[in-house]
Amino acid sequence: MTTTQLEKRIFAVAVIFVLLLFGFAALAVNQFHVGLPTCLTSVKPFQKGEVITHSPNHYEVHYVARMWRFEPEEVTVPAGSTVDVYVSTPDVTHGLILLGTNLNLMAVPGVVNYARVKFDQPHVYQVLCHEYCGLGHDRMAATLRVVDAATYRPPQAPPASPAKTDPGYRLLDAKQCLSCHSLQDDAELAPSFKGMYGRSQKLTDGSIVTTDDAYLRESILHPSAKLVTGYDDVMPVPDATNEEVEQMIEYLKTIK
Amino acid sequence: MLPNENAIEIEPGLKRMLLIEIVFPMILLVLGIYHGLVQVLYRAGIIHGSHFLGLEYFQGLTLHGVVNALVFTTFFAVAFGYAVIRQHLGRPLNMKIAWLSFALMMIGTLLSAAMILAEKATVLYTFYPPLRAHPAFYIGLVLVVVGSWLAFFNWLPPYFAWKREHPGAKIPLAVVGIFAAFIVWLIATAPVAVEILFLLIPWSMGWVPMVNVPLARMLFWFFGHPLVYFWLLPTYVMYYTMLPKLCGGKLFSDFAGRLTFLWLVLYSAPVGIHHQFTEPGITDTWKFVHAFFTMLVAVPSFLTAFTMAASMEQGARQSGGQGLFGWWKKLPYLDKDRWLFSYLFAGLFIFIFGGVTGIINASYNMNNVVHNTAWLPAHFHQTVAGPVFLSYIGMSLFLTANLTGKEIKLPRWNVWIPYIWTLGIMIFSTGLFIGGAAGEPRRTNLGVSYSDPHSPLYHPEWHFGDMMGCVGGIIMTIAGLMFFVVFFATLFGRTAKKGALDLIVSEPYHDERVPAVQSFTPWLAAAALLLVIAYAPPLTETIRSQFPGARGYYPHSPLPIDAEPGH
Repeated sequence: MTTTQLEKRIFAVAVIFVLLLFGFAALAVNQFHVGLPTCLTSVKPFQKGEVITHSPNHYEVHYVARMWRFEPEEVTVPAGSTVDVYVSTPDVTHGLILLGTNLNLMAVPGVVNYARVKFDQPHVYQVLCHEYCGLGHDRMAATLRVVDAATYRPPQAPPASPAKTDPGYRLLDAKQCLSCHSLQDDAELAPSFKGMYGRSQKLTDGSIVTTDDAYLRESILHPSAKLVTGYDDVMPVPDATNEEVEQMIEYLKTIK
Repeated sequence: MLPNENAIEIEPGLKRMLLIEIVFPMILLVLGIYHGLVQVLYRAGIIHGSHFLGLEYFQGLTLHGVVNALVFTTFFAVAFGYAVIRQHLGRPLNMKIAWLSFALMMIGTLLSAAMILAEKATVLYTFYPPLRAHPAFYIGLVLVVVGSWLAFFNWLPPYFAWKREHPGAKIPLAVVGIFAAFIVWLIATAPVAVEILFLLIPWSMGWVPMVNVPLARMLFWFFGHPLVYFWLLPTYVMYYTMLPKLCGGKLFSDFAGRLTFLWLVLYSAPVGIHHQFTEPGITDTWKFVHAFFTMLVAVPSFLTAFTMAASMEQGARQSGGQGLFGWWKKLPYLDKDRWLFSYLFAGLFIFIFGGVTGIINASYNMNNVVHNTAWLPAHFHQTVAGPVFLSYIGMSLFLTANLTGKEIKLPRWNVWIPYIWTLGIMIFSTGLFIGGAAGEPRRTNLGVSYSDPHSPLYHPEWHFGDMMGCVGGIIMTIAGLMFFVVFFATLFGRTAKKGALDLIVSEPYHDERVPAVQSFTPWLAAAALLLVIAYAPPLTETIRSQFPGARGYYPHSPLPIDAEPGH
């Protein structure tokens, strides 16, 4: 056999091999419906995260991926349900991976992404952001619970918690304060809002201040003036009127 | 190294420029490798925090990507291209253009690096909008690219002059490879130039408020995939034209080399959407078309694997190798006179794994499992930090020693470096493959969350893979340090002989003249056609969909840049 013949054979084997692999992928699409996220140019990017119940075993989750949290942060569905997952971002590019499943979506500004996933067994899944999105990327996560269908209780229709209708809360949310300042104990990017009002606070220059109205007002309008020890000087200046600042402070007083 | 009848003395100006072009990125590479090490320490949870020694995690990651993958590779490809063109075409080059090209690349690199070090460009080497960097970062990248274009244009006059003087002769194989590399580079950099010049610079300057993110991403990946073949082609030139002679034999088939190079011109670009399988805004049809072409771009890797194995076998049998497998013992694994073999051979070994995992990633729906997980950096470290990196540093040392006439210092160390690196990268990548298959995200400072036992997000089951990544990374760093010692000791060592340019040139064993691979023209025409088929419809769809634009953000603030008071 001449080299050219031998090479023709090698070439043919290589081409057939890769086409075979491609054929497997196509087979998986056709026979097992393992597809890719679907292109949805018709759906306008949404701004509000929510869960919509279509039937007891069919749900639609609208995830808003924003710097640096998912909304909704907690989703619960019963085992055996089919969930249509939509994801949209109001700021930068994010990713959404549901660990332990094949759900893997990019959240790209301007476009809504979509994929369907079916849950057979109860399990607590973690949702992670897997595309670099800035300072808080490393901690951007949420939870999706699949519970036993027998114990599942549909979420009661919203008498929204009174705190969330507080004008101060809505301002903190709208001005993205909650991206870094948590209402829980687990804040690491910035001091937690929980118990923030009226405590003694150590600053980077070693001094200790009491977090009263004047301190909070200054810290909102001039974030670099006094820095809490352990945190970087990265807080942007929010665009807020004096009246709005007062409303935010009033709300902070209630977070014990 | 081997006595070489092809050695030529070259103009002092060209020699000086080649040396600067090799040494300058080597200095930056020290920084790039340093942050590779720091990253594995973060990810294994050994460093908890966002900063280490003044460098922020993502700032360092940006530096690691830009320096190692964009700057070092481009400078080396240009320097190696000059060496190949000068030696194989035997003509002096226009030094004014050469220095201008070098100056642009140098200024561009310094500009971008300064922005990264000043924390004004923490956007990673993919610089996805709407995270926004300082305009000087983007301008710096443009200068590097334009400089490298000038180098390629500088090689065209000697090429056409050579063709006029040798009517009907075969173009030297190494020249075909280098031209293929830079044709791929031109194809790749055109769309990213459009992205940077028309989308990113006007937007980062504040001249336009919004950027079209889906369009920018599609243009980026139109660049991002052929980029990897631009890295790989100079390595292939070394494999096809040098490795066989280093084994004491001949290149098994000259035709396979030409076909491989031209095939990559054809298929390296119409495949970029395989990086965007999990993205919205692109119709499945075009994802499928790109997946198909991606499979075809794997074909030359198989040809290369076959041809290299055949060439090594032929060489080993010349040296007395016997039997079905016995000839493997006759290869110059630790021969310090033929040390370049170890750099090329180790890379070829790593590439087996890089190639296989590449096919997995490209397999359309299989990508759902691994997209943006640690699996991906594991894969591309087995390509760009495997065969590409090892051949580039090996050839940098080879050219430096020969051009200056210096002796290689610590020759025993030198021959072991690639094997230590291989051990490191195999452990590192295995760790990241394990983590990635379990969904561990890439581009994430795990040390502050998923690798931190005190965090509510702690993932104990990822720890094993992260520790493997860390051990592998430390071994790679040791090999890297050993290389820097050998390189700089050689550079500043004693001059032993007169400097010369003497790239190794293997003779072909089979030298058929297959007409289809003797000219670039039909391949260029076919490449243009494929590009139109693969990219015209999805680009048109993206532009016509009129997705809402995005405002700019800095990585440290959740507020858009133009929303901050005083903006």
